[in-house]
Amino acid sequence: MPKRILCKFFAHGACLKGDHCEFSHDWKDPPNNICTYYQKGICSYGNRCRYEHVKASQSDLSASSSSTVPHQSVISDSVPLGFSTTTFGGSVVLPAASAEFPGSRRALFPHTKQAWNLESGHQGLLDNGIVMEPRSSNPVERPICSFAAAGNCPRGEKCPHFHGDLCPSCGKHCLHPFRLEEREEHIKMCEKKQKHLEALKHSQEIECSVCLDRVLSKTTAAERKFGLLSECDHPFCISCIRNWRSSSPSSGMDVNTALRACPICRKLSYFVIPSVIWYCTPEEKQEIVDSYKAKLRSIDCKHFNFGNGNCPFGTSCFYKHTVKPVSYAWKYHRPPPRRSNVMDMDAIFDFFKHLIAEDEMNIFDAEDFENDDLTSTEMAMSLMQLDFESSDSSSDEENCLY
Amino acid sequence: MKASRARLFKEYKEVQREKAADPDIQLVCDDSNIFKWTALIKGPSETPYEGGVFQLAFAVPEQYPLQPPQVRFLTKIFHPNVHFKTGEICLDILKNAWSPAWTLQSVCRAIIALMAHPEPDSPLNCDSGNLLRSGDIRGYQSMARMYTRLAAMPKKG
Repeated sequence: MPKRILCKFFAHGACLKGDHCEFSHDWKDPPNNICTYYQKGICSYGNRCRYEHVKASQSDLSASSSSTVPHQSVISDSVPLGFSTTTFGGSVVLPAASAEFPGSRRALFPHTKQAWNLESGHQGLLDNGIVMEPRSSNPVERPICSFAAAGNCPRGEKCPHFHGDLCPSCGKHCLHPFRLEEREEHIKMCEKKQKHLEALKHSQEIECSVCLDRVLSKTTAAERKFGLLSECDHPFCISCIRNWRSSSPSSGMDVNTALRACPICRKLSYFVIPSVIWYCTPEEKQEIVDSYKAKLRSIDCKHFNFGNGNCPFGTSCFYKHTVKPVSYAWKYHRPPPRRSNVMDMDAIFDFFKHLIAEDEMNIFDAEDFENDDLTSTEMAMSLMQLDFESSDSSSDEENCLY
Repeated sequence: MKASRARLFKEYKEVQREKAADPDIQLVCDDSNIFKWTALIKGPSETPYEGGVFQLAFAVPEQYPLQPPQVRFLTKIFHPNVHFKTGEICLDILKNAWSPAWTLQSVCRAIIALMAHPEPDSPLNCDSGNLLRSGDIRGYQSMARMYTRLAAMPKKG
């Protein structure tokens, strides 16, 4: 019985078993050309498969033996010769077994959709490549052509989908003729984008008065940012204006009149706002400032430290002051004394004094005395500087919005 | 260092471009060192310095423009705010009122303005300051004119 099927190795001229082969080496016998994957419903080649796509129910009748026998004979291959007679006897029972097989196989893949069921889906595809979609009666539910919305539809007039109306800002056919909400939203978005682009274009020309470079032509991305002064409208790079404001005042230079003032008009500004674009109107500036402040308000203040630290800006701090339970402010309803952590440091130094060599100790002492010499206002000033530096740098990354 | 070099290079290009724009100022950069500049400025008209050409020496610090350039007169000048011997200039924008928005060119302009409007209340040249403060305008003007002729004008014949 197995001799009836042509050996596929023999067909390729590569059967190593020769006369011992269970399969027919006679060209007159038909080859087993049925795709078992198709029968399982998972042949990924589809029409291009070189094996025959015969449904399992058909193959049950016509080629049940041909499809199942190889399976059996593979087993008999591995069995030692002495048992070959018994396996041969087993093959006599095969028709009954093969009758059960298709059913059990289906049970193995109960959820996979069978290939012939999928075929109905392909029937919608006509030869000339035009997709015929089932038309919905309600035009609101029908989607617009995504090609046209992206700029260009290759099907042009013949396109079975809606082509959206032309958006005046972006010049694409992306306005759905029947979904009014979506339409308005898109127009609003587009106008906003357009405005942003224009502002960006305008910003390209702006030069920083400190480095005399165009701010947006700087080499690194971090430098390509404006530093807006709160009280005047003179443009600077964020790095230039921060460098100037944090530079150590030379002799006789007053922090408030020289460093905190605008280098051009000398108007005093208390803070610098980083921004990727330059503004044209006071409203635009206000918008930038407001969103910057809103951003900072969502970040916890490092100085306040959840009620355990002392923020030099107090209630006017831009950062969030959250009082955590069991913190100092939570317990005593006032900020902790200013020098508290310096005191702690002293205690630590005392503790380790005997461990540290004499000369190293001197260095530490010198640093400490420097701190001690600072008056409270100087201390506040230096803290303020610290805050400006640290706060600005921490918020830089998040301020790429503009 | 890098920033100051870039900025000075920008200023150099600007000076080359607008050479004719301000005939009273002639800024020249040292051939080998961009941190050393010299300037020739013309004494403003209707002052005792009229007709004179004064040479200034600029020493630009590495922290420029965060720190002001050091400027002094190389040409002798009799002016209440210029040290008679060293040529040091007492000008607020070169000290505590410096701003990074100033350029070497604008510093020259400020010095010309200072020549036209001396400030006798903060003198570096006490003789000159005292003359002005005591109201002896003629004395001051004749002294200044004399030194301009002696030091800042090409010798005739």
